[in-house]
Amino acid sequence: MATRISAQYLIKRLLVSVVVIWAMMTLLFLLLKAMPGDMASLLLNPSLEASDIEALREQFGLNQPLHVQYIKWVSSYAVLDFGYSMRNAEPVVDIIARRLPRTLVLFGTAYLINLTVGVLLGIHFGWKRGGMQDKSGFTLGLTLYSVPFFWLAWILLLIFSYEGFGVAWFPAAHMTPAFESVFDAPGLVLGVLFHLFIPAASLAMVGWAGNMLVMRTSMQEVLGEEYIDMARAKGLAPTTVKYKHAARNALIPVATQAIVSIAFILDGSVIVESVFSWPGIGKMLVDSILNRNFPVAFASFFMLGALIVTLRFLTDIAYTYLDPRIKFGESR
Amino acid sequence: MSGETQQPSESFLERHRERHAGTYQSLRRGWRRFKSHKLGVIGLLLLVAIVATAVFAPFLAPHPLNWTAPTGGEEATSLSELAEQSISHPAPPKFGDPYFAPLGTNHQGNDVLTRIIYGSRTALYIGLAAGLLSSLVGVPLGLVSGFYGDTWVDEAIQRVVDIMYGLPFLPLVIVLVAVRGVTTTNIILAIAVKSWLNNAIVIRGQTLTLKERSYIEAAQVAGASDNRIIFRHILPNVLPLAFVYLAQDSAFAIITQASLAFLGLSDFTNVSWGVMLQWIQVTGHVYDAPWWMIPPGLMITLLAASFYFVGYSLEDVTNPNSD
Repeated sequence: MATRISAQYLIKRLLVSVVVIWAMMTLLFLLLKAMPGDMASLLLNPSLEASDIEALREQFGLNQPLHVQYIKWVSSYAVLDFGYSMRNAEPVVDIIARRLPRTLVLFGTAYLINLTVGVLLGIHFGWKRGGMQDKSGFTLGLTLYSVPFFWLAWILLLIFSYEGFGVAWFPAAHMTPAFESVFDAPGLVLGVLFHLFIPAASLAMVGWAGNMLVMRTSMQEVLGEEYIDMARAKGLAPTTVKYKHAARNALIPVATQAIVSIAFILDGSVIVESVFSWPGIGKMLVDSILNRNFPVAFASFFMLGALIVTLRFLTDIAYTYLDPRIKFGESR
Repeated sequence: MSGETQQPSESFLERHRERHAGTYQSLRRGWRRFKSHKLGVIGLLLLVAIVATAVFAPFLAPHPLNWTAPTGGEEATSLSELAEQSISHPAPPKFGDPYFAPLGTNHQGNDVLTRIIYGSRTALYIGLAAGLLSSLVGVPLGLVSGFYGDTWVDEAIQRVVDIMYGLPFLPLVIVLVAVRGVTTTNIILAIAVKSWLNNAIVIRGQTLTLKERSYIEAAQVAGASDNRIIFRHILPNVLPLAFVYLAQDSAFAIITQASLAFLGLSDFTNVSWGVMLQWIQVTGHVYDAPWWMIPPGLMITLLAASFYFVGYSLEDVTNPNSD
């Protein structure tokens, strides 16, 4: 492994990631400055004296020249110092530290499901290319791909958690059962899994099509290769040919799609978190935007971006490891 | 030749036909291949139907947009009472009422079907505007980047694409829209900020292979300028691919607008499917008014799916090594 990934390649990818993160900080700074008013004016209220406002501006460093503000902004974001929430004066980084794992639980589950299901069905449809199963699966996948996440979530809720219409099997919202502290650890894990079911299902139901489409096309291409005919002619079992010979080679383009679907599922989880009041970063982003609580909103945007950058970096490395034929720096 | 120059007006059509015979032929061939994709044809029919709905909305809708169902018609005993009720109490959402609202009414007594029909205008506008905008940015940049591959121009564009690609899509749109103001134009712009990237990447790749072809060399030898080569010789060959991505971007824009509306970031005076869904949530009728909740989502799905169907079939048509 170590021999295949050169230090030069690693450094290049790392550099790109750092530049993306820097670009995000700059973008946020520009947006902040392009907004009407400033941080201090968001806190205005009638009981403030002129001197208080001046003190606030001093506190936020708004009296300093723009480039000093910019350097301060970038250097504080670089060490995850996002300032304080405008609601309850809690450090934003604490809120994020509390919420990030919850987002990761939802995102990770949905991502793994959608990757597994998408790839397996892609193998299957590609294998049965042109057949009835392939055609209907392809149509179903594309149709589900165009369903808005939140609407699908509502339908699932209507069926699986609303008694008046379907069955009330699963809870409709939140991440943990009520009276959380009553439960012991295994009970709590079970409760979270229970709450996870519909959100993860609505994410995965939309997302799997992306992986399926890529896997299916790639599988079809691989099946036209001579070595597949060779394997068949040798008299190998069809299942062996399907999974060991064809699918393994067809997996490579899926690695690129896997990177794309990271962003797709993370986008979706922002919406799905809002549907289910899942107390993660996506919900926090939306809430704080609507409350004009910009320190929190910008920080959650930044953390979601940083999450994507990190995951992309890791998948990029995994990709070069998976495909020995790849030349460094040509991963896309 | 001399005959043609003497009667330019008469032979104009003929000349045009002669000159573009190849184009017509390839278009016809493309259409034949497109027709063999059942899914693509279905998508195209759906799309045409929705476009027709949008164009003829005033004729198709059973009621004008501002129509509201007279309230509590059953309980009112006199006309004056009825008029009073319709002012003081908005009608509860109801299914199958006697005032010919085939899909029922919403919380203000508006006809759901009318709103659905008029909403197709907003959806198509947002989808096509965002799609076209991202094509207009992405295709030229992709062409230039591909044509000047491995020069500083290409390098610069690619670095911008790399950086933009790292930004999360929906959070970026949310932040941009929230900061710049919640209007339809801002939503379209915010979507286009990210969605031109795919165009640029794919068009660049195609251009890189196209510019190695001998006809490009021939054009260069004949003294054609770079501009001419890019826009007269390469652009027509990447256009089909650009249409594929136009379709996909449009579908994605429509879904994104609905999601933004759901999150509370949309112009609520607008009549659009996403806004209808948002009102359902705001008024708390998600689980007890399926006649109101299902149609907008279904229409969003159908429209986006029809774009995807057409796009994927087009991709197959334009891909020479399929079959």
